[in-house]
Amino acid sequence: MSQMSDMNKWEELAEKQLRGKSLESLTKNTPEGIDVKPLYTAKDLENVEFMNNLPGFEPYVRGPMATMYAGRPWTIRQYAGFSTAKESNAFYRKNLAAGQKGLSVAFDLATHRGYDSDHPRVSGDVGKAGVAIDSVEDMKILFDQIPLDQMSVSMTMNGAVLPILAGYIVAAEEQGVKHEQLMGTIQNDILKEYLTRNTYIYPPTPSMRIISDIIGFCSDNMPKFNTVSISGYHIMEAGADSVLQTAFTLADGLEYVKAALATGLDIDKFAPRLSFFFGIGMNFFMDIAMLRAARFLWSEIMSQFDPKNPKSKMLRTHCQTSGWSLTQQDPYNNVIRTTLECLSAVLGGTQSLHTNSFDEAVGLPTELSARISRNTQILVQEETHICDVIDPLGGSYYIETLTQNIIDEVRKILGEIEELGGMAKAIESGMPKMRIEEVAARRQARIDKGEDVIVGVNKYKIEDEIPLPVREVSEAVRDEQIARLEQTKKDRDNDAVKKALDDITKACESGGNLLEMCLPAVRARATIGEISDAMEKVFTRFVATTQCISGVYAESSDSEIVESLRKRTTDFEKKTGRRPRILLSKMGQDGHDRGVKIIATAYADFGFDVDLGPMFQTPEEAARMAVENDVHVVGVSSLAAGHKALVPQVIAELKNQGASDIKVIVGGIIPPVDYDFLKEAGASEIFGPGTVVTDSANRTLNIIEA
Amino acid sequence: MIQTDPELFIQGILDGNRRIIAKTITLIESSLKEHQRNAFTVMDKILPHTGKSIRLGITGVPGVGKSTFIENLGVSLAQKGHKVAVLAVDPTSQRSGGSILGDKTRMEKLSAHENAFIRPSPAGETLGGVAAKTREIMLICEAAGFDVILVETVGVGQSETSVAAMVDFFLVLMIAGAGDELQGIKKGILELADGIAINKADGDNLKAVEKAKGDLEIAMHLICPESPTWSTPVMTCSSVIDGGTNNIWEMVLDHNKKFKASGEFKQRRKKQSLEWMWTLVEEGLKQRFKHNEKINKEIPKISQEVKNDKISPSAAAEVLLSYL
Repeated sequence: MSQMSDMNKWEELAEKQLRGKSLESLTKNTPEGIDVKPLYTAKDLENVEFMNNLPGFEPYVRGPMATMYAGRPWTIRQYAGFSTAKESNAFYRKNLAAGQKGLSVAFDLATHRGYDSDHPRVSGDVGKAGVAIDSVEDMKILFDQIPLDQMSVSMTMNGAVLPILAGYIVAAEEQGVKHEQLMGTIQNDILKEYLTRNTYIYPPTPSMRIISDIIGFCSDNMPKFNTVSISGYHIMEAGADSVLQTAFTLADGLEYVKAALATGLDIDKFAPRLSFFFGIGMNFFMDIAMLRAARFLWSEIMSQFDPKNPKSKMLRTHCQTSGWSLTQQDPYNNVIRTTLECLSAVLGGTQSLHTNSFDEAVGLPTELSARISRNTQILVQEETHICDVIDPLGGSYYIETLTQNIIDEVRKILGEIEELGGMAKAIESGMPKMRIEEVAARRQARIDKGEDVIVGVNKYKIEDEIPLPVREVSEAVRDEQIARLEQTKKDRDNDAVKKALDDITKACESGGNLLEMCLPAVRARATIGEISDAMEKVFTRFVATTQCISGVYAESSDSEIVESLRKRTTDFEKKTGRRPRILLSKMGQDGHDRGVKIIATAYADFGFDVDLGPMFQTPEEAARMAVENDVHVVGVSSLAAGHKALVPQVIAELKNQGASDIKVIVGGIIPPVDYDFLKEAGASEIFGPGTVVTDSANRTLNIIEA
Repeated sequence: MIQTDPELFIQGILDGNRRIIAKTITLIESSLKEHQRNAFTVMDKILPHTGKSIRLGITGVPGVGKSTFIENLGVSLAQKGHKVAVLAVDPTSQRSGGSILGDKTRMEKLSAHENAFIRPSPAGETLGGVAAKTREIMLICEAAGFDVILVETVGVGQSETSVAAMVDFFLVLMIAGAGDELQGIKKGILELADGIAINKADGDNLKAVEKAKGDLEIAMHLICPESPTWSTPVMTCSSVIDGGTNNIWEMVLDHNKKFKASGEFKQRRKKQSLEWMWTLVEEGLKQRFKHNEKINKEIPKISQEVKNDKISPSAAAEVLLSYL
């Protein structure tokens, strides 16, 4: 019997079991634009371009290494950092003793944006979402008793990348470690910052020069160090689906390659040191296929430059499970989510992995939650025998076809970007950001409608939740940092610092490798803020233009609820003479604007007048804008633990400016244990993760009408 | 907390109290009759304190960089000690009635400057109505001591004409290399312009800007200047370079000086006041027509008659108007 007639028989049988429903109704349309069928067979493999590929060989679909985990499992690399260098150092050393292999440093937002801890714009940010670093003195404490010639160190730094990388190099020098011994990764991926997380300092053009300078310096002096970690993770966390994540990440990578080539570097000298960083979400098979497709496509993209070293075409990647997929509601479910995402990354063939802690939708990980997240990986490596076979899903009809589908979809977007003149130009045009925000708004609408299920949030909800204990960073961290900063400035030779800083400014104007120029300044104890300022004089500080989509949320959401909200806002206008007006503000250095953008577009769809504040406002600026625009309510969006400092400040400022009648609401990652504190400070409502947007709008209207 | 005592508003405005200025603007924008009556009282009282600013209208298609231009020019003026008010109108969704007012995101420094006041307003349902309110808001800002008023308009459409009719200088912003050099700007709008500025004259864009300048100068030759003392210049500027818009301000000052010397400045403002009165008359007539009970009763019947050719459209219009 031929396969065809087998297939016909199956269809017949399937339709019979469906009792009247068509077989087509089982096909799922994904946000990626891929139709996933209920069954895949050998026939589907006819369209696959890369059958019979072997691991370690181009196009690397089955893995970049020949033996993959059968030879050595992926590196368990947990990302962490908070409070002071001393506390983070203690945390690292404990984790290394408990089986973690590499270090991954999270810096606080003040450091990311090139501000010292004593800068007035960062009063709510010091030590909150990462460790505070002001000079090489902090760096030395951070790596105390961690031998930098043996430990691979990954640093998530993009904005203040030069002083931080220079600080790491000088800290190593002072440990007696040579440049060429250093191994690890610096994220150094600025393009995605303009797309999603906003922790840039300078405009794109000088930022691209900084990246080329780092690639140049490291390929000469630090051959074991990964110079760029081209990151899709933040793109996914901002709402991108797997196709968008892959396309924009690869396009960013291509842009860096072109920039490095333009400085005259040889492709084989730097391309093998480019690494990637993907985010893995809850669409289990999709993200397995995504990693395989990304390897194929990178190999294809790099072929145009004709590299001689096969490693130049090889995509090696770190992965992290999705922080966005974690819920504040019924949070122990997050252990299961992370486990599944971990498996997805592993079956996709990642080289290293961070698994999130279950409490990260609420705050910083505790010791217990950090242990569980680390053990998630250890268990998979050491108890499940999953590592015994290379690419165990290779040959699966579904996985191979899905990999091909993703390749096809990504190629289309890469073509669009090429037509716009490359990723830098595309970002300027606003295309990628709008595309991501559109997908994010649609997804939020599907969740609010219950179409996309999130257990504990829109289905199987539990009552009477007990708030999780969270780690809290004391406001005293800032004082401690400022004290050390003052001491450092007192002990150093200020003339030497000034000369080194002037040299940096000159190099910004007239050329020279900027990483090399930063080393003497760091050795002389110039601070992160001073070095960043020295460059800002020439490069200026980048100001983003905020575009906002409209109509998308309402289109994908429950029309009855949207209509009732529109009626409420219209009635409000009839009664009071104008529409409800809300200012949405992001204060401090927290650049995560996915949430605030979704709220902006959704509330405008409901008939609110929405004022969208600039990024990085101070409480005083936010209050003044609220006063001038005469809004009814200020919505504060906080995702980086600044709320306990910033919310009371903005309330005080409103009062100060004669506007205590303007209400304040708060949304974002707010630990439930902080709700009482914020309410006592005067916040009218708090909307934690998982709040249905239409509910929040109704509650906001209740407050305005009260 | 909309206070009802007009005296409180008047005193607050004259004191330059931000909170009160903002509240007065809300009052002016309100669609409630009661608020509008209060607004009239306030406007009447502050009128003697108005008129002392330079009023600059700025238009250009989306993407031309209006907001960054205003940020650059505004900061430069505020640093020199000018008190700068920026009034911007953002489009309203016809479907939901809501708006996204994101302008200040591009005026980061200006919005934090102590000498500045920025107020974006939702366009609301009718474009004509916006301009009506903008003009009154402009007067409020003058009474509060702002000596430079920048009015930004949405882009292309009828709002330009109404803004041009309320300012001393109407500036059209353009960019080079967007294909058609006239970029959908209607010839009518260029006729309204007192000056044209080609923005983004920086970096590797300079050559294209110079070429666009030449092309536009030729195009402007074909427009006969209205004033004997002024023919519309074509300038270039950059909103990302410090001081990159100073030359534009100098042009505005030059225009101001010449127009004051020739008497055209006063003439123009007088003409605008008169035009303003007629606009209000038209608007009032429309409103009265719309809310006239007898007319509203008559409309269905007479519409049916027009549809059935029982009465000619012009005769029908005559009948309806006769009820006013």
